[in-house]
Amino acid sequence: MEILSFLAHGLTVALTPTNLGLAVFGCVAGTIVGALPGLGPVNGVAILIPLAFTLGLDPASALILLACVYYGTMYGGRISSIMLNIPGDEPAMMTCLDGYPMARKGKAAEALAISAVASFVGATLSTIGLTLFAPLLVKVAIHFGPAEYFALYVLAFATIGGVTGANPAKTLMAAAFGLALGTVGLDPVSGTARYTFGIFHLFDGFHPIVAIVGLFAISEILVYLEHAHGTHPGAVAVHRAYARLSDLAKAGGAMVRGSLIGFVSGVLPGAGASLGSFLAYAMEKRVSDKQGSFGHGDPRGVAAPEAGNNAAAGGALIPMLSLGVPGSGTTAVLLALLISLNITPGPLLFQKQPDVVWGLIASLYIANVVLLLLNVPLVGLFTRLLTLPMWLLLPTVVMVSFVGVYSINHSTFDLLVMVGFGVLGYLLRKLDIPLVPIVLGLLLGAEMENNYRRALSISGGDASILFDSTIAVSLYAATAALLAIAVVSAIRRHRRR
Amino acid sequence: MSDRLTGLLIAALAIWYGWTANNFEEGFGDPVGPSAFPKLLAVPMGLFALYLVIRPDADPDWPRGNPLIRQGVMLAALVVYPLILEPLGFPLATALAIFIMAVLLRGTRRAAGVAAVAISLGLFVTFDQILGLHLPMLPSLQ
Repeated sequence: MEILSFLAHGLTVALTPTNLGLAVFGCVAGTIVGALPGLGPVNGVAILIPLAFTLGLDPASALILLACVYYGTMYGGRISSIMLNIPGDEPAMMTCLDGYPMARKGKAAEALAISAVASFVGATLSTIGLTLFAPLLVKVAIHFGPAEYFALYVLAFATIGGVTGANPAKTLMAAAFGLALGTVGLDPVSGTARYTFGIFHLFDGFHPIVAIVGLFAISEILVYLEHAHGTHPGAVAVHRAYARLSDLAKAGGAMVRGSLIGFVSGVLPGAGASLGSFLAYAMEKRVSDKQGSFGHGDPRGVAAPEAGNNAAAGGALIPMLSLGVPGSGTTAVLLALLISLNITPGPLLFQKQPDVVWGLIASLYIANVVLLLLNVPLVGLFTRLLTLPMWLLLPTVVMVSFVGVYSINHSTFDLLVMVGFGVLGYLLRKLDIPLVPIVLGLLLGAEMENNYRRALSISGGDASILFDSTIAVSLYAATAALLAIAVVSAIRRHRRR
Repeated sequence: MSDRLTGLLIAALAIWYGWTANNFEEGFGDPVGPSAFPKLLAVPMGLFALYLVIRPDADPDWPRGNPLIRQGVMLAALVVYPLILEPLGFPLATALAIFIMAVLLRGTRRAAGVAAVAISLGLFVTFDQILGLHLPMLPSLQ
């Protein structure tokens, strides 16, 4: 009941004309970004963060805008999967498997409608989960001291690659590298300049948003140039998505199952939406594929992964909001936004700034309704966007990134740092070294060090305080177990090759 | 080979990173100090990097020939843009950058030119005039 009154309060925040307008704008922008191949959710949210600064939005509004962009990208990703067989973003990969065959059979409208409804079911169920479980996790997290937080960060970094990560050694090296980047700048406790080479601009450290836009958006254009092939193949014209109710009902079970799996994989650290849609598809295939119709345009094969990736998006917000530890790349970018606005996520956020948290959660419910409306009757507008040539699109994206990053400090030095991160991002992507741990390290490094130092100053320098509480020890045990699973599965993959 | 080289580079970086931390001044009455955390990080960073040297993955396909040249020109444009942004002003610098990028991405010159002018003016109006973010104008008009 308590939750309902919080939610009612959140609705009063979300339903102000400004916030409602921002939510609708965010949904449209997110769907566009999601639909365009090559612009994933991380890029979309990162590029639009500077816009939130430029507009001078208050924290609640800024977070509402970007969370709606985030949900929108999850809806939009499926459009190009279905129409072009090119996933609009990584989590929409599984939707290609049955979505594109459906479109080739002339059932594009059905595929779009079923996947829109599946997205709605997944996102709404996981938003309900977020509403129920985030406050519970906050109640646990309130007992965390510095030692427990340090253990939690160790858990987050050790498991960021999850079970899907390519090479655990590369993931962990990337995490340490990211944390090291986070130490650049003036040490907040002693005022010592660390790794700044005396460059004045580096005294504040690397701005996380400058780094994120560089790593993801700028590296994208270098990746694209490697196999530049001009325009996309023409998409089929679809003006409206429609499906018979009986078709939707047939896919209902797939939607619910996909949502549950997606939600769980969203909450787990380091799993995220891609794993959510993958597991949802694999599971649905096992449960329902009796005639071998999966992969040849089975509507359930569209419904399950779409419900899965949208549910994972909502689930990933839980650890980000209640612990301050994001579980995916996009939630890491949202965390960067919060930190830039001087807001520390975590249990205290729920107590001190209920407007921000509950306004956000309420606006996610609204975003889902808006997105369903956008993606069923108006989907024709978005499909037409797919015919935009890349030579027009990518330079625009790059320039918007430049303007956005410039707006943070009005510094051309930041632009050069961004390009530097772009080259780094390109090289790391070629080498299969994941970027998300680097971003997380850069973002969370200060807080992790802070907790480490606070714990040790409580004990007067005795490191055993780090292993002193049951919570900390169980977090380390969980870390060890998850690492063992990751290593074993990596070895198995290696042997199979 | 690529992984080995990366591993060696990062291992060297980790050694330098941990070593430099020794020189940080300890704060007064601060039992941990600014050097403890970097030293703690240097160990796993170096060890995982060395692991890459011993057990590298297969090499990626590095670009060569025409794509490599395109990437080089693109990178040059990306580096030059921040340097000319303030001297030339936003509309001009941006139009130039968009033109080069669009041609690199195989847009025709005429279409790229039109798009460059339209997009740079559009961005200028949106961000400077409407959103009130002060972008550098033409130098003569400042």
